[in-house]
Amino acid sequence: MSKRSQKKFEEIVKRFVELKDTSELMIDLAYSALLLNSRELAEEVQRLEEYMDKLHTEFELQVLSSGFKKEEAKSFLGLIRLGVVTEKIADAAAQIAEVVLRGVEPHMVLKLAIEEADETITYVQVTEKSSLVNKPLKDTKIPEETGMWVLAIKRGEKCIRPKPDTKIQVGDVLIASGYAEGEEDLKKLAAP
Amino acid sequence: MPSFEKIEYKPIPVRELLREMKNLSELMIDLAYSAALFNDRELAEDVLELERRMDTLAYQLEMVTMVAVRDAEDAEALVGVSKVAAAADKISDAAADIAAIVTQNIGVHPIVSEIFERVEERLIKVKVQENSILVGKEIGALELVPRMGVDIIAIYREKDWIINPKGKEKICAGDILIARGASEGLKELKELCEGKRDELEG
Repeated sequence: MSKRSQKKFEEIVKRFVELKDTSELMIDLAYSALLLNSRELAEEVQRLEEYMDKLHTEFELQVLSSGFKKEEAKSFLGLIRLGVVTEKIADAAAQIAEVVLRGVEPHMVLKLAIEEADETITYVQVTEKSSLVNKPLKDTKIPEETGMWVLAIKRGEKCIRPKPDTKIQVGDVLIASGYAEGEEDLKKLAAP
Repeated sequence: MPSFEKIEYKPIPVRELLREMKNLSELMIDLAYSAALFNDRELAEDVLELERRMDTLAYQLEMVTMVAVRDAEDAEALVGVSKVAAAADKISDAAADIAAIVTQNIGVHPIVSEIFERVEERLIKVKVQENSILVGKEIGALELVPRMGVDIIAIYREKDWIINPKGKEKICAGDILIARGASEGLKELKELCEGKRDELEG
């Protein structure tokens, strides 16, 4: 395989991973929105849905313009289908978020089914002085020290699904959930 | 033609049905991506089997909520439940679509799998043999996450799935474990399950 086509594939896979991660992040956020009856989170899910549309179009164009050979058509069809699936998952997440936006009081049953004990959701922007800057998430010990769990990281237009080795940058907005008393601790850590 | 299970009303709590639908949909997505990206037909078939279970659950949940609604107030309180159940069902459909890429021999380009393996965690499916040291141990006590960076996300036992098993859950001989994590750790777990390794590291 030539260097050029290897690079092309890397780009396609990168875009697909972003689609996959965004769709899964949307599911997590949608359930949290429901649990906490948070319009703010539900709106975030709706915004991500629009972002997904844009991303999905770019992904499809990239696959279609990759100049594949006839005998490769099938495995490229597989890729296109994977993209469609991420879109379907994102739709399902938006559907869950819509319940919140329509003002349906979350039924006790929903809270019990989601099985998480979160009480609150908090948004905090990471400042230059924070000890979190440039650290991978797994080294920050945020859950141990604050009892809060980082659901998502907003970085400019993007919303990132945190992975253990995601590095925190200045200006990132951490969206975290947990018990109310952890909120202050997280603020001290991110914006001292 | 797939065969469909006959539907009968069962008085199962909505909470339990919905929780199972939610957990099942998330497990199915993980299994399905792994099946497609690593071209694993067996995993893909598991996903399709789970999809049939999901459909049955969706029918049951719908019947249980129908029975529970007596007036407009009940309807307003429960519409959220039925919408969320429908979303979980949609997610499981999406998972089945992914699995179909494998079962219909479409596949994804092998280079994609190769690149993907570098960026994403893998899933494995492994059977616990009788001589494995894991037999009879509680999952929590094994400390698999800090020790080897792997997480048991489901157990298939006696034709039933235990999704997100709790720390107190004991591993039995014959269990099929689905685990996620770093490839080194997964290799180790596989050897432990197959009785080829007798001690936990770390």
